Amino acid sequence: MRVTQSMLSNNMLRHISNSYESMAKTQEQLTTGKKISRPSDDPVVAMKGMTYRTNLTEVEQYKRNLSEAYNWMDNSDAALDKATSVMQRIRELTVQASNGTYEESQKGMIGKEIEQLKEHLVSIANTQVAGKYIFNGNDTTKKPVDLSKTPSVSDNGNTVNLELSQGIEVAVNINPKNVFTHTAGSPESGLFGDINELKKALESTSGQDISGFLEKLDSHINNLVSERAELGARYNRVELIDARVGEQEVIANRILSDNEDADIERVITDLKMQESLHRAALGVGSRIMQPTLMDFLR
Amino acid sequence: MRSTFHGLETARRGMFTQQTALQTTGHNIANANTPGYSRQRVNFVQTEAYPAASMNRPQIPGQMGTGVAAGSVQRVREGFLDTQFRGENNKLGYWDARSEALEKMEDIMNEPSDNGLAKTLDRFWQSLQDLSVNPEDSGARSVVRQRGLAVAETFNYLSNSLTAIQGDLKSQANITTKEINALLDDIQSINKQISEVEPHGYLPNTLYDERDSLVDRLSTLLNVEVTTKPSGGKPDPLAAGLYDIKMKDKDGTEFTLVDSTNGTVNHLVINYNDGTGGNGLADSVVVGGGIPITISKFAGGKLQGLIESYGYNDNGSVKGIYPDMLTNLDQMAYQFATEFNKVHSAGWSLSEIEAGAPAGYNFFDLGGVSDPVNPKGAAKLLKLHDDMKELDNIAAATNQFAGDGSNALRLGDVKNAPLDFPGSKSSLQSFYEGAIGKMAVDAQQAVRLTNNSAVLTDSVQQRRLSVSGVSLDEEMTNMIQFQHAYNASARNITVIDEMLDKIINGLGVGGR
Repeated sequence: MRVTQSMLSNNMLRHISNSYESMAKTQEQLTTGKKISRPSDDPVVAMKGMTYRTNLTEVEQYKRNLSEAYNWMDNSDAALDKATSVMQRIRELTVQASNGTYEESQKGMIGKEIEQLKEHLVSIANTQVAGKYIFNGNDTTKKPVDLSKTPSVSDNGNTVNLELSQGIEVAVNINPKNVFTHTAGSPESGLFGDINELKKALESTSGQDISGFLEKLDSHINNLVSERAELGARYNRVELIDARVGEQEVIANRILSDNEDADIERVITDLKMQESLHRAALGVGSRIMQPTLMDFLR
Repeated sequence: MRSTFHGLETARRGMFTQQTALQTTGHNIANANTPGYSRQRVNFVQTEAYPAASMNRPQIPGQMGTGVAAGSVQRVREGFLDTQFRGENNKLGYWDARSEALEKMEDIMNEPSDNGLAKTLDRFWQSLQDLSVNPEDSGARSVVRQRGLAVAETFNYLSNSLTAIQGDLKSQANITTKEINALLDDIQSINKQISEVEPHGYLPNTLYDERDSLVDRLSTLLNVEVTTKPSGGKPDPLAAGLYDIKMKDKDGTEFTLVDSTNGTVNHLVINYNDGTGGNGLADSVVVGGGIPITISKFAGGKLQGLIESYGYNDNGSVKGIYPDMLTNLDQMAYQFATEFNKVHSAGWSLSEIEAGAPAGYNFFDLGGVSDPVNPKGAAKLLKLHDDMKELDNIAAATNQFAGDGSNALRLGDVKNAPLDFPGSKSSLQSFYEGAIGKMAVDAQQAVRLTNNSAVLTDSVQQRRLSVSGVSLDEEMTNMIQFQHAYNASARNITVIDEMLDKIINGLGVGGR
């Protein structure tokens, strides 16, 4: 084949420009840290990348939902704990008052304290977390207990569900109907009704038997305890979900990275190789371009 | 009896001819870097020997040569390589136009990234999850509204950007048509000049080169076939003749572009469907006002690549790279917004809970697009519904309690719910991934074939240069060769001169 100058220079230009192109690709991989910069570089990686990114976003969101779930449950648990202490104090006072040795005025004093404790219970039932009433089912913008109204206790037992993992919804509130209740009537019943009756009995002069209330108070304390137990059990479940979502996050990140991230060691090795190729191409080019027959004719 | 000055004449011819050759060498060297130049060669021929064979020829032994003449100056070129080059160049033009269009589309779609539509939808989903956790919170609502707005705006942006590029492709196709027509005119005018020169026995090499470069350029834009036809008069046997240029469609039907016999040129026109109610896409290409070639039959070159990217009508259906993606976006926007509104209007918003009666508020507004089969313009027109001016109108609940976020969860699920896309029931996410995947595969193929055809074009071009390229070393060698021959001829004259001097001045003076 006849070889001419223009062929040589064309060839050289083409090779050098190809070599530049590969260097640009390598440089892109190094600066972005990604294997691909556009879908056509590798359609499979690109499509998988879209799915993995969505997965990662989902997992991150579930983590956020989980912290909100903890917020609800921790606050509910603390409130129930306080409520239990209050109930125990009421029971203590009731035990004292059922001692036949107490005078009417003393009983009246105890009645006053119980009244105050009842108010405290009301404020516990009306606990707000971030502007939400946590003991009113899903009707979180309204107070569950207002003793000045009838009915004075809301009966919303609906669950507040949070999605904590794909398709898994967990109720994060307790059922307030199981704990804070009030049934009007004569005699009143339910938590607040019973306390009202107790107070009335303590303040009355009829010498009514107080010890009968102990049983009722015990059943309310039991309700509180069992609701806490149920909340605790659910809390455990949420912790399990949390652990799994945490693992999923690690996995999702790793898969995303495996799929898209450039293998830096390899890219650098490629760059080095490319660099020497490029030097060779330039060197050869400079040698080829130089001499012609003219340089030897005089 | 031969002439006394025979030797002088022979040597003079030698000098003249070597000079011609040296001049051609100089021309070659001067044009070593001229694109499209083919090196030229002087074909030396012996002049007629003396005496000519005839009855009354002088009785001398044998025939004597009378020297050399420049028979012709010929381009050194291989016609077969031209045909090959044009075939490859044609593919290169097609794939190059296609890959460029697809690359621009990739840039706009920008997937996978943290700024594409997929990410915007993910963020919207996230805000809905946050709303489901805090349904009574106006902060969460306002995030939902903003992210919803971002979804609508991303659809608008993608649709508008794609439409803008599509417009560019149309003007590019029109400019390409103009370029083709100008090239055809140029080729015909060179044909005409050649037809005026060749009959006199000349070889217009410069015109040949120019014409071949024009055909090379034309071959990028269109698939062309060149046939040659001799011009009249008494042309040199080496004359290239006139070029008839034809274009073939996919069925092999030929369309004459340049007719050298009549000296006519048929111009190309793209017909667009832009009458009232038309979609503005390409319908056909017409050559010289003849029978229209439907785009699906049109074969090869940059023009086809551009038209296919821009979009065309094929038997009532719309085809093309950009229309496909725009249709996909419209479908997505329509299906997503419709389903989202359906779920949204079935839920209870804070204001509906307050009022105690459902009002069925919508979240998205499709701008009047309502045809589920062909929701044209849905992506462009998608926006937030006026109902959403009031944050409390976002329906997060399925029942009448403010703390219920289950409808927000359902709204979030719309992204992964199976929607009624034409021909398939798939989720928005997987439909979009499919669209991006198809674009990616198409772009990859286009890039690969562009590279392949570039390599092939280059290699044919190399072979062409191998035949027609100027080698400076070769020219230098020739130059020295011709110079020596020139010098020797001159020396020959000196010898003959000395001889004649002897005859004229030295004879008849014997004994002086």
